Amino acid sequence: MQASKFTVASASRLLLLTALSLVGNALQAQTDVAAPKDTTVPAVEAEEDYSQYDNVGFAAEGSKRYCSPKIEGLSPAKLISIGYDYQMGYHMNADTIRSLKQPYSMPDSAHVMTSNGLRFGCNIPVISRTDLVWQMGANYWEQRYKFEQPDQLQNPMLRSLSENGLRTMGINTTVFKPLNDVKFLLFQGSADLSGDYQFGKFMPLKYTKYSAALIYGKRTSEKKQWGVGVARTYRVGELNYIPIIFYNSTDVANKWGTEILFPARAHVRRTINSRNMLFAGYELEGQSYRLWRGGDAASGNLRNEDLEIRRGEIRLRMVYEFSLKDFLWMSIQAGYRINYRYDVDRLQDGKEVYRAFGLASDAPYVMVNQLTNPLYFNISLNLVSP
Amino acid sequence: MRKFIVPMLLVLVAGVLTAFVQQNPEADRLMGVWEPSNGRARVKIEKIGAKYYGKFVWLKEPIDGQPKTDKNNPDPSMKNVPLKGYRMLKDFVYKGNNEWADGTIYDPLNGSTYSCTIKMTNANTLDIRGYIGVSALGRTDVWKRMVVK
Repeated sequence: MQASKFTVASASRLLLLTALSLVGNALQAQTDVAAPKDTTVPAVEAEEDYSQYDNVGFAAEGSKRYCSPKIEGLSPAKLISIGYDYQMGYHMNADTIRSLKQPYSMPDSAHVMTSNGLRFGCNIPVISRTDLVWQMGANYWEQRYKFEQPDQLQNPMLRSLSENGLRTMGINTTVFKPLNDVKFLLFQGSADLSGDYQFGKFMPLKYTKYSAALIYGKRTSEKKQWGVGVARTYRVGELNYIPIIFYNSTDVANKWGTEILFPARAHVRRTINSRNMLFAGYELEGQSYRLWRGGDAASGNLRNEDLEIRRGEIRLRMVYEFSLKDFLWMSIQAGYRINYRYDVDRLQDGKEVYRAFGLASDAPYVMVNQLTNPLYFNISLNLVSP
Repeated sequence: MRKFIVPMLLVLVAGVLTAFVQQNPEADRLMGVWEPSNGRARVKIEKIGAKYYGKFVWLKEPIDGQPKTDKNNPDPSMKNVPLKGYRMLKDFVYKGNNEWADGTIYDPLNGSTYSCTIKMTNANTLDIRGYIGVSALGRTDVWKRMVVK
């Protein structure tokens, strides 16, 4: 009887303890999750036997792994970027505009005190799946020219640059298609409207320039990817079809790396830590700008002359990119802008001259302009991608 | 007899409460071991209270064999903490329609934490979308369910 009484009492206490324990556990769990979210310091789970997860496989038959578009250590992709570009003073010797009937096309030499402008870009993922990544973007760049004596300018191109500057506005798309866990295809395309237009007097869309690149590549490890391809590009001012080489890498210690899309740009990367990166290298920059608004009653109107500036430049530079706070990064560039071309072409019956570096045509430019080379700076704020 | 009633009632209430809080078969489909698209990690998603959490249970270790630590965490005190066991998914709540939301995801490659939603596209596939502020500013990764072979 005593034994029975002991058993009942013990059982009731045990049940009570169990109940309290269960309620306590539930309350404890809810207390944990109801606490303010600590988004920078994730909790660490108590140790368990993790070896059980070594030998697992896909639950679904036929599941495949695909290579990622990124490698470890790569600088973060920019979702939204707003920046300012500033070139220090340089001389611009403008040629006469050859074969024009109008008398206004006289050569001219001018000092550009600064050329600068806003640069905006965005790149938003539309489809982001393991087997397909598709992004769409938009960009707006402007280049304003501040001449030393703007009212003394004689040449219509210089007058247009002084009054209107140059603008590029466009949309772009990037498609990354992994073929398996190593091979991939990368396509980039863009449509840009470039010229001396202003928003009040917009340029006709028929002057849109189309660029594209297609790369076949391999992601050979977590820290290396390479590829080869072809591009249709205006990067040196005029239309070209060129082979391209893509090569991104990071060393074992995550300190050094390369980010190369040759010949468009090539940089060596020094990773100070995952939120501070230093780059040294170059970028080819350029576009073909339609002279649309230049000229006035005295000098005639350039739009009737079917002229386009083929602007191409090499920017040797150092770049420092760092996280200001979480996803907000700043990029600071300093470098030397080397003029490659600032010549003017006349369209032939509305069509561009395709020279292929002189192999396809040796048609002369209607203006061959000379620019000296200044130092330049660029600063931008960037919202970077997860 | 009355000695038994109170404890029994407590047990009953606790059991019902626990069952209510912890049992939701539709939401609990999220639990299990999952592999991100890069194949470099496996994450075990568990339920704590009414929310879901995911921790690293397997990591592709570097060549030198040293366990990976949270070296990119902006908090210096966390840099030597092993990543294995790390809760990188936090605070997810089932919203119905195969979607879990209100959570965060931690990326040890850059030490950043992002807002996150999880969509189960089929029983063995998750779309994990990390984003900044609004869903449009984000990236989706596809995770596959793993089972012991």
